[in-house]
Amino acid sequence: MPRKRRIIMAKMGLDSHDNALRIVSKWLADSGYEVIYAGVYNSVERVLRITIEESADALGLSFLGGGHLHYIPKLIGLLREKGLGKVKVFVGGVIPPDDVKTMKELGVDAVFTPGTKRDEIISTIDHILQNSTVRLKIE
Amino acid sequence: MADSQKTEFDHAKGEKLPHFRSLSGIEYQRIYSREDWDNVLPDAGEYPFVRGIHSDMYRGRLWTRRQQSGFGSPEESNELLKFLLKVGQTGINIDSDIGTKLGLDPDDPLAQGDVGLQGTSMCTYEDMVVLFKDIPLDRISSTLIFPPPSSPVLMGQYLLMAKEQGIPWGNLIGTIMNCSFTQLVGPTFQANTAFFPIDLAIKIGLDLIEYLLPRVPKWNILNVNSRNIRECGVSAVQEAAFVLALGTDYVDRLCKRGVNVDSFARRIGFFSAAHLDLFEEVAKFRAMRRIWARTLKERFGAKDEKSMWFRVAVQTSALTLTAQEPLNNIVRATVQTLAAILGGVQSVHTTSYDEAYCLPTEATQKLAIRTQQILAYETGVTKSADPLGGSYLVEKLTDELDERIWELMKLIEKRGGFIECFKEGWVEQELNQARYKLAKQIEISELPIVGMNLFRSDETGAEIDIFKQKPDMQAKRIEYVMKYKKNRNQEPVRHALKNLYGRVRKEPHRDLVIPILEAVEARATLQEICDVMREASEFSIPQ
Repeated sequence: MPRKRRIIMAKMGLDSHDNALRIVSKWLADSGYEVIYAGVYNSVERVLRITIEESADALGLSFLGGGHLHYIPKLIGLLREKGLGKVKVFVGGVIPPDDVKTMKELGVDAVFTPGTKRDEIISTIDHILQNSTVRLKIE
Repeated sequence: MADSQKTEFDHAKGEKLPHFRSLSGIEYQRIYSREDWDNVLPDAGEYPFVRGIHSDMYRGRLWTRRQQSGFGSPEESNELLKFLLKVGQTGINIDSDIGTKLGLDPDDPLAQGDVGLQGTSMCTYEDMVVLFKDIPLDRISSTLIFPPPSSPVLMGQYLLMAKEQGIPWGNLIGTIMNCSFTQLVGPTFQANTAFFPIDLAIKIGLDLIEYLLPRVPKWNILNVNSRNIRECGVSAVQEAAFVLALGTDYVDRLCKRGVNVDSFARRIGFFSAAHLDLFEEVAKFRAMRRIWARTLKERFGAKDEKSMWFRVAVQTSALTLTAQEPLNNIVRATVQTLAAILGGVQSVHTTSYDEAYCLPTEATQKLAIRTQQILAYETGVTKSADPLGGSYLVEKLTDELDERIWELMKLIEKRGGFIECFKEGWVEQELNQARYKLAKQIEISELPIVGMNLFRSDETGAEIDIFKQKPDMQAKRIEYVMKYKKNRNQEPVRHALKNLYGRVRKEPHRDLVIPILEAVEARATLQEICDVMREASEFSIPQ
């Protein structure tokens, strides 16, 4: 039995709209993931610290007010700098279409915008993390 | 998929709805008749005001069109306010960014990424002056969306601005929101407790009320926001019970400070959601008016009828808006606006259709105002007070909601009141359960949402314009406040902050507003003032 995949769920900065963070966290837990709920008001440094402490496989980050443009580039930069480039990054929330492209170019593995169904979120994350398992084993 | 099963159209059978429950789970009957409701109604303007707080309602004056607005710098927001007034908005509703609400300046490390995103960035006295440039403070009423700890600081800036413009405080008209629990994202625990000690926040809110009561006689001192509670996904019953219980707590605490209920109750207002279940929403507003009036009269012994008025502003729900086929949201917002008007509310913000993507653009805000104007001027729904009053269905629903809301309020009261329930985590639990339940209902299409879980089409829908902030806005604001702090006369600031520190530290029960206003006058920034209060309480903020 492989260990449960561990995913940190957080909001960064000051936006505290956490409906989706709570709901998607529950969906992930119900689907067999180990969810570390980091809640709201996280700095990039705090997310990074928890990622290391918990040896997380993935990060789920939720945005509403536009903070993704500030936080995601910083976070991804720091993940790479610390040699954590293999940690998968998922972004959810109010992300305008142009920014979805930007997020993916920055290296975000998947972006989930409002109205995305539960099944789609879970199967996308399953798929990406399964592939990452294979890659880790090969290495 | 669940949605296709439920909606597959068989002409022989016709279409059927999945169920006949209201959004709050009340079962709608096949038909309502005299057997369900056979009562006499008071007139509009008569206690307990179920039919409205004024006898002539919108015949006397239309509701205020008050779109919540604010983004970027105070300069940009001032331009937006003037645009909205030009297209027919009749009151101002200015929202600050989150850092401002939490008492953080733009240069705080955790605030930098959110500067100006969800409201205007405010921190200095000069910001306030710029925000209200060319706006007559004694002729246009302004709602200031500032909760403690920022409310006494920014209200202080507003009062100082009036003084310097030579406008007597007695002529100022508007509202300070000033509620410590509902101005961020509903009464969620972490959001409201991470940046300031909650008991001190409540205290300075109440201090501000006592300061304003005699000095700014037309100003509304508190607005309790149930819209943000509802947007967490709770039912109409929970929304109403939570906010009325919280309102009751505030009245109780002010009475316990020895303030006469008839001197302040009329200056408390509410801010509610208008959701999509039209009749239930109308019944909700009617029931809330009745319960509030009853509470003020029977529990608090109010004598003045105005003290018993449940005055409410509405913003239509954004929880119902979809990113899929966003133009559909115009229809939703129209029905919600209609629900608010049929419910007899005092002011309305119609939510723009693009809010599942971004802050509203000027064009979509104008459309939201036009929606209200069409309802107001073209449809005739305004021409009689309480037009649905006497409808068997609406009256029966009003009674049923009244009963359920009252039951829940009694439960909250038994647990020590809303504030206690918030502190012990009960509110948080209720919110989370409601969120999970709502997600489930959407997932299995028990809550049908056209274009999302019902009749979903694969194409992404209409292309819409996306609001974009200026790329250098945040950097400029950060630079501005850093320079500001460096270049002012430091001695008065140091003196005023020291004084405030001493007051919080050594005389925590005395009024804090006057020392805060002295710091404002000395040109201390918002965060400097809040930090002093944090330090004096040995409170540290997230890093």
